[in-house]
Amino acid sequence: MGLTRRFESHDVFRTTRNLFRASQAMQFDWVGPACILCLSLIGVAFIYSAHAFTGGDFWIKQLVWIVLGAGVYGVVSMIDYRFYMRNALWFYFAGLFLLLLIFTPLGLTREGATRWLNFVVLAYQPSEAAKVCTLIMVSTILATTRIGKISDSVRVLAIVFGLAGLPMFLIFLQPDLGSCLIIPPMVLALLYVSKLSIRFFLVGFALVVCMASILAFDLYSYAHALEKSGLSAQEFRGEYQSKSLVPLRDYQRERIMTFAAPEVVDPSGTGAAWNAIQAESAVGSGGLFGRGYANGQQARLGYLPRTVAHNDFIFAVFAEEQGFLGGMLVVGLFGVLLANGVRIAGQARDRFGMLLCVGVTVIFLIHVFVNIGMTIGLTPITGLPLPFVSYGGSFILSCCILQGIVQSVHRHHRLYE
Amino acid sequence: MSRAFLPAWRFWLIVVVVAASFGAVWARLYYLQVTDAPNLAAYAADSRQRTQRLEARRGDITDLHGNLLATARPVIDLGVDPHALTEADVSKLPQLAEILKQPLNEVRSACADLWREDSNGHQRAVRWKKLATLTEGDYQRVLDLDFKAIYGNRRYERYYPANELAAHVVGYINKEGTPVMGVERYLDFYLEGQAGWRDIERDGRRRELAMFRQRDVMPTDGLTVQLTIDWVVQSMVEREIDKIVEKYNPEGVSIIVSDPRTGEIRAMGNYPKFDPNEFWEYPIENQRNRAVTDVYEPGSTFKIVAASGALEEGLVTPDTIIDCSKPVVEYRGRRIRMPNDDHALGEIPVSTVIAKSSNRGAATLGMMLGDQRMHDYAASFGFGTETGWGPAGEVGGILHDVKDWDGLTISRLPAGYAVSATPLQVHMAMSTIANDGVLMHPRVVHEIKDRNGNAIVEFTPRPRERVISDETARKVRAMLNRVVSTEGTARRAMIDGYTVAGKTGTSRKIVNGHYSHREHVGSFSGFFPVSDPQVVITVMVNNPRFPGIGYGGVVAAPAFQSLGEQLASYYAIPRDDEDESKRPGGLYVAQQMETVR
Repeated sequence: MGLTRRFESHDVFRTTRNLFRASQAMQFDWVGPACILCLSLIGVAFIYSAHAFTGGDFWIKQLVWIVLGAGVYGVVSMIDYRFYMRNALWFYFAGLFLLLLIFTPLGLTREGATRWLNFVVLAYQPSEAAKVCTLIMVSTILATTRIGKISDSVRVLAIVFGLAGLPMFLIFLQPDLGSCLIIPPMVLALLYVSKLSIRFFLVGFALVVCMASILAFDLYSYAHALEKSGLSAQEFRGEYQSKSLVPLRDYQRERIMTFAAPEVVDPSGTGAAWNAIQAESAVGSGGLFGRGYANGQQARLGYLPRTVAHNDFIFAVFAEEQGFLGGMLVVGLFGVLLANGVRIAGQARDRFGMLLCVGVTVIFLIHVFVNIGMTIGLTPITGLPLPFVSYGGSFILSCCILQGIVQSVHRHHRLYE
Repeated sequence: MSRAFLPAWRFWLIVVVVAASFGAVWARLYYLQVTDAPNLAAYAADSRQRTQRLEARRGDITDLHGNLLATARPVIDLGVDPHALTEADVSKLPQLAEILKQPLNEVRSACADLWREDSNGHQRAVRWKKLATLTEGDYQRVLDLDFKAIYGNRRYERYYPANELAAHVVGYINKEGTPVMGVERYLDFYLEGQAGWRDIERDGRRRELAMFRQRDVMPTDGLTVQLTIDWVVQSMVEREIDKIVEKYNPEGVSIIVSDPRTGEIRAMGNYPKFDPNEFWEYPIENQRNRAVTDVYEPGSTFKIVAASGALEEGLVTPDTIIDCSKPVVEYRGRRIRMPNDDHALGEIPVSTVIAKSSNRGAATLGMMLGDQRMHDYAASFGFGTETGWGPAGEVGGILHDVKDWDGLTISRLPAGYAVSATPLQVHMAMSTIANDGVLMHPRVVHEIKDRNGNAIVEFTPRPRERVISDETARKVRAMLNRVVSTEGTARRAMIDGYTVAGKTGTSRKIVNGHYSHREHVGSFSGFFPVSDPQVVITVMVNNPRFPGIGYGGVVAAPAFQSLGEQLASYYAIPRDDEDESKRPGGLYVAQQMETVR
């Protein structure tokens, strides 16, 4: 090959030039991009379908984002991933900086949550960038240190949790519980493949059980208070959160309750449980073969609310129109994409590359499982979108960046033997 | 994954977790889309599709000349969805209260009523609470206020423009929409129409999707029923009832006016009255059409039966002398005590028996006929069976078979005791005399028409039975003419310029199993002009409360006279009294024409 250049300078210009040279004769993974392309096109088609009745132009915007994302994917995949390791701190601080910008006048509030940065022509969700940056930061730490038994690596663990916890906390303040919950599984998975003692995970599991019990108790007393108040769950919002020690908003409690005990928060099925009920009946209406493209009734007639049909509930639209077989196709594509990520992780020639691929795969797994899961009643409803399929610019971009990193790991896997 | 970085068991654990996640998704998808798909699809379809009922407009009920007695008017039920009430809505409540003419507090509290308890004691959200029923104009004013949570539903409301007028005949529709009585119930089949329906689909916001309308069956409006009742005549009758009530404070009053030749009832009024627009405000007994539901012993008006029978059978002539002095007579080997007369009358002709209303005379005529013929004539005149006038609730009265008679019946029946009848039965019997001896079926419905005025069902006069010959009828009319004269019992029924025939009736009511000396039913039934009867009028006053006996000639005859005078001018009935110079037209003109010829 003769292209085994080392990066010895931090000079950005030289780095960039070298990167592009290095990438010229390298292997390119076609499986990942093929899956991504298929999923993106399905996404555009069904975003169109979801709004076919009202003539929304979301699909055009999505197309623009995908073209942009393709460019980002290309650039990221050409950059040697070790570049991130060397500049991890800068990326991390950049991510935090964007999160902090939320609290400036740039922050954009929609439906009670300040999750966007208003850049006039487009609104960006900094939590997406923070995800990527946290992944790079944590991977860097774990790639450069050895951990094993808990006692040997308490300091490293503390650093990792501290670095992961800070952006999590900032996202939690927005509030965006869904995005927030992506980070812990990702960090845990990275620790897991870093061969952290299994005892740690047992202790962690016990902690989760404890927290779950506290949450359960909190929700129980919430349900009790709700019933006593005689108000509907919607009117009750804000009443309980002011008294509870558990830092959850009442609408978040409502969502969890909608999953666990819909009859408590929404006895008539027209409030909090509406989306879940309508999504499930949309999927069910699809049957084996689906109703046919642009023929789904639930989204077109607004039973799936128009505000969420094209993003959070795009899978319901797809499943109604393409049925079980179509659903299998999409789930299968994600399966191939994730398996491909695991394959590339295994082929990576250094721990950093492996950790990056594992992290990306876990982020995608959570997104896919939670998003499809909430559509079909397996998980509570959170605002986690379906990668490449759901409408959303920031999310497309960060998905492209993440997959671009995986491609980069693949392209450079022979360089560091 | 490279073994260099990860032990095998850690690698396989990851594979198991990922596979389990995907397996769960697959399994759940399979359950939703294959196993449970029919149910979910049905649920989704069911929340979209609705069958909307399109109410038909109920037909009108009009009087003979097309005046509305019952109609369906479109109204709007205004209600509030208290959960959807916005602050802007609340701020506009004072204006709303003004339009509704309700106190603001009431409107406010109605809007604040968020929860109700269902039959199982569960709390349910109030989705729509009725505030008021509005007319189109007021609803438009409410719409102009642009409420988010306050809106109305259109429907038809039954409305009776004439209020109490002919209410007993027209009947009414209760709050559940069920016709309860009167013509409303009798002709419900024609009035109700045929509701249509519409299969619609609705979107997630419950708005109808017109493009998915599948079936659209328009409702067929109900037919219009035209009664034989004449608003003007009915009003006269109601006024007379009011006068009687004011003067005598009776338990009940019934007045019937009809055309003797066709049996068409022009007016039928009762006291106590009720307003069908607010039927719930009145005791149920006010809603009874006493003219057909209440029976009484007709008393002397019944004497026309014995007199007609005896004349028809040729047993007597109007001039045959009847001995009314004997208190006891022999009848078929038995000695029978005769009823008393108020004044001793001695030997008088048949026509005087009727004119003076002699009980003994009538009993003597009945005995001349004998049990069976007396019974058969009463039955022929319509006693003991319903007249079949139409609306339900009519009773037939009691006329015992001869085998059930006791020893006194033959002396009591001819005078109108031991028999019970409704005012309408008495009225029809009197109409038979006026109609040359033919008993007609009384009718209250003239025609059933569609909305374009085309007749769908026509009702024509239906004779029921020839009871007596026209010759006999004429003789009886002449005798009844003497009743309404200065020498008869009903001089208060005389109408200036007309010959009037009629018969008073005063019967004692049975109170606690005995004939009362204080409670009477006073009645008068008659018609005019005698030579060519145009109207038959029956007035029945139940238990007039005033000192003395409520003789029919005193309590009922004046109403007849008053009605007769009004009807004479309303129908322009030619005068026919002896003083020909007073006749403005009619016979007088005809005679003049003859003279010219």
